[in-house]
Amino acid sequence: MTIARRGFLALGFAGMGLRAGWAADKTIILGCSIPLSGPAAPTGITTQRTVEHALELINAKGIEIGPDRYTIVAEFYDNKYIPAEAVTVVEKMMADGVRYLFSSGSGNSVPVVEKTTAAKVLQMSGASGKGHLTAPQFPYSFRVQPTNETAYAVYPWLKTAYPEIKRVAHMNPSDEAGFTESEDRRMIAERNGFTNVGNEYFKRGSTDMYPVATRMVGFTPDLIDMGGTIGRDQGLACKALRELGYQGKILQGYSDAKSFVDIAGPDAAEGTLLFDTLAEPQTPEQKDLYNWWIAKYGPPFPSYAFLVWDWPFILASAIRKAQSVDPVVVAGAMRTTVYHGIFGEERFGMKSVYGLDSSLTRQIPMSIIKGGKPSYLATIDWPAGV
Amino acid sequence: MTSTLLIQIVLSGLVTGLIYMLIALGVTLLFGIMRVVNFVHGELVMLSAFAIWYIGVDQGLPMWVAIPAAIVVAAGIAVLCQKLLFKPLQYDILNCFIVGIGASFAIRSASWAIFGPEPQAIPAMIPGVVRLGGVFMAKQRLLAAAVCVVLAIALYVFLHFTRPGKAMRAVEQDREAALLMGINPENVYVTAFIISAALAAVGGAMLGSVFGVDPEMGSEPLLKSFIIVQIGGMGSIAGTVLAGLFIGVADSVTGTLLGGELAFIIDFAILMLILIVRPRGLFGYDV
Repeated sequence: MTIARRGFLALGFAGMGLRAGWAADKTIILGCSIPLSGPAAPTGITTQRTVEHALELINAKGIEIGPDRYTIVAEFYDNKYIPAEAVTVVEKMMADGVRYLFSSGSGNSVPVVEKTTAAKVLQMSGASGKGHLTAPQFPYSFRVQPTNETAYAVYPWLKTAYPEIKRVAHMNPSDEAGFTESEDRRMIAERNGFTNVGNEYFKRGSTDMYPVATRMVGFTPDLIDMGGTIGRDQGLACKALRELGYQGKILQGYSDAKSFVDIAGPDAAEGTLLFDTLAEPQTPEQKDLYNWWIAKYGPPFPSYAFLVWDWPFILASAIRKAQSVDPVVVAGAMRTTVYHGIFGEERFGMKSVYGLDSSLTRQIPMSIIKGGKPSYLATIDWPAGV
Repeated sequence: MTSTLLIQIVLSGLVTGLIYMLIALGVTLLFGIMRVVNFVHGELVMLSAFAIWYIGVDQGLPMWVAIPAAIVVAAGIAVLCQKLLFKPLQYDILNCFIVGIGASFAIRSASWAIFGPEPQAIPAMIPGVVRLGGVFMAKQRLLAAAVCVVLAIALYVFLHFTRPGKAMRAVEQDREAALLMGINPENVYVTAFIISAALAAVGGAMLGSVFGVDPEMGSEPLLKSFIIVQIGGMGSIAGTVLAGLFIGVADSVTGTLLGGELAFIIDFAILMLILIVRPRGLFGYDV
């Protein structure tokens, strides 16, 4: 190797070092409290992988605030989907100076919102939780994934898409998410002219679903809305319902479709309606994300990744708009940010319901299990006036 | 409540109770013979189910290969636990209890890392549903119940009518006297661990095909097993069978009529009542 070439390489390495040093000087730490083990881990792992990729793209451009260039660095903590664990990891993050938090699951997010509000930490939750998370007393708390609110869009659509459905029964886990989902879904179903014929809760992670399924079948509903039921519980519940002779429709969301079909069995799963689930990419942006995942992790693609994809970009947009890294200022900017994301125009709204615009509104994709696989069914616009 | 609903509830409870009973039999067998409360038993159920899933579903080999292979895997792990965990502690009840809890957590955590978070499923060996009037039951559940009944009978026959079984009962009744009769208790212990693991493996096959497979799948059945064993009486096969059926039906009745949340509360209430009135359980003896 010649001296000139060595010198050239040395300059190159020095340049890389300078660039790395420059980028590391201005970082925004994003703490993520997500389930990386336990029954809810599939959603947590999907979240981690998706957020990491979103931040790669955001950080490639950087966030310019005046003369400074910022990057966002995510730190992932396992909350095991256990509220006590979630409180512990969030307290640790806050002690370490984290001022931006993403939290998964309402049972994990609600117990920390008062702490994050007091510390002026901007909390973004992929969770239900309604007014327990989005209310005027929590001005720095945003819900970045429509959850129970999807019912505002889905029930009017059901009314026209499946006019034969009249009687609806609701089945949810007996926790914060389940109670919230049930309360909203019953209210919205009734508002749209459906008759609520039953409402049942079960212990999340139950092994045997026959008892609750027997009760559900006894209501003779046309549709069973599983609301906040997630993970293995969905497959076991669907399987039990079909084994007990239920032949009506089943509606559920937050699904890992492959696991669901594996557990329930293709015959039992057939015809299940999946809300806020995009089984197949429809737009170029959706196809980009899909292709990246398949290239990096291989099939199957978890459709949950679509739901997680946009919020890191919305956060970056809000920081750019605020021209500040102060969470209080960013929260104000976030509330008025309109972002063109993977589901078209997205914005924080629902002031009419929660008293301030802190809940993400956007199009809701619908899918259906056909031939043992999820397939795209429709995209529902967010209803006007909500 | 209609008679059809009543039959449905009782039948569902009996079938579930039989699966729990099979797992509980493994727990009570070890306790009866060596006074070891084996907390690793739930993880043996889980690891067996994963072994069956891997061999029978992922690798596509027939179930008659997968299930015996899972029994071998479970027996191997059980014997390792016996040699490395329980024997060095001289089968002390409290120490084994604590070490068992630790080992259980360790195995479960490792399983999350090894098998990943996505739940898996063992397809029904007999798909479809039986319908009798208004009563429905999955054929796979009926198969699981039948297997559990056959194994419970086989265990009874083994313990009462074979030489190794009689040796086990001799060690259970009086270890020193059994030694004088030329029975090696260590060999009996190994045999007991292998039989217990085999019961866990078959339980894993049945649970996995009915309820799915994931690293947490052994936890709830193990907790139910302890309740069943306590109610039936530690070390009593007959007590375990009766308590398993009783808890299965009680869960089904409570869960269906009052809601699933109350099932565990009722189970513990029954357990507490029995422990107060008859501390040794229905058919147990003083420890």
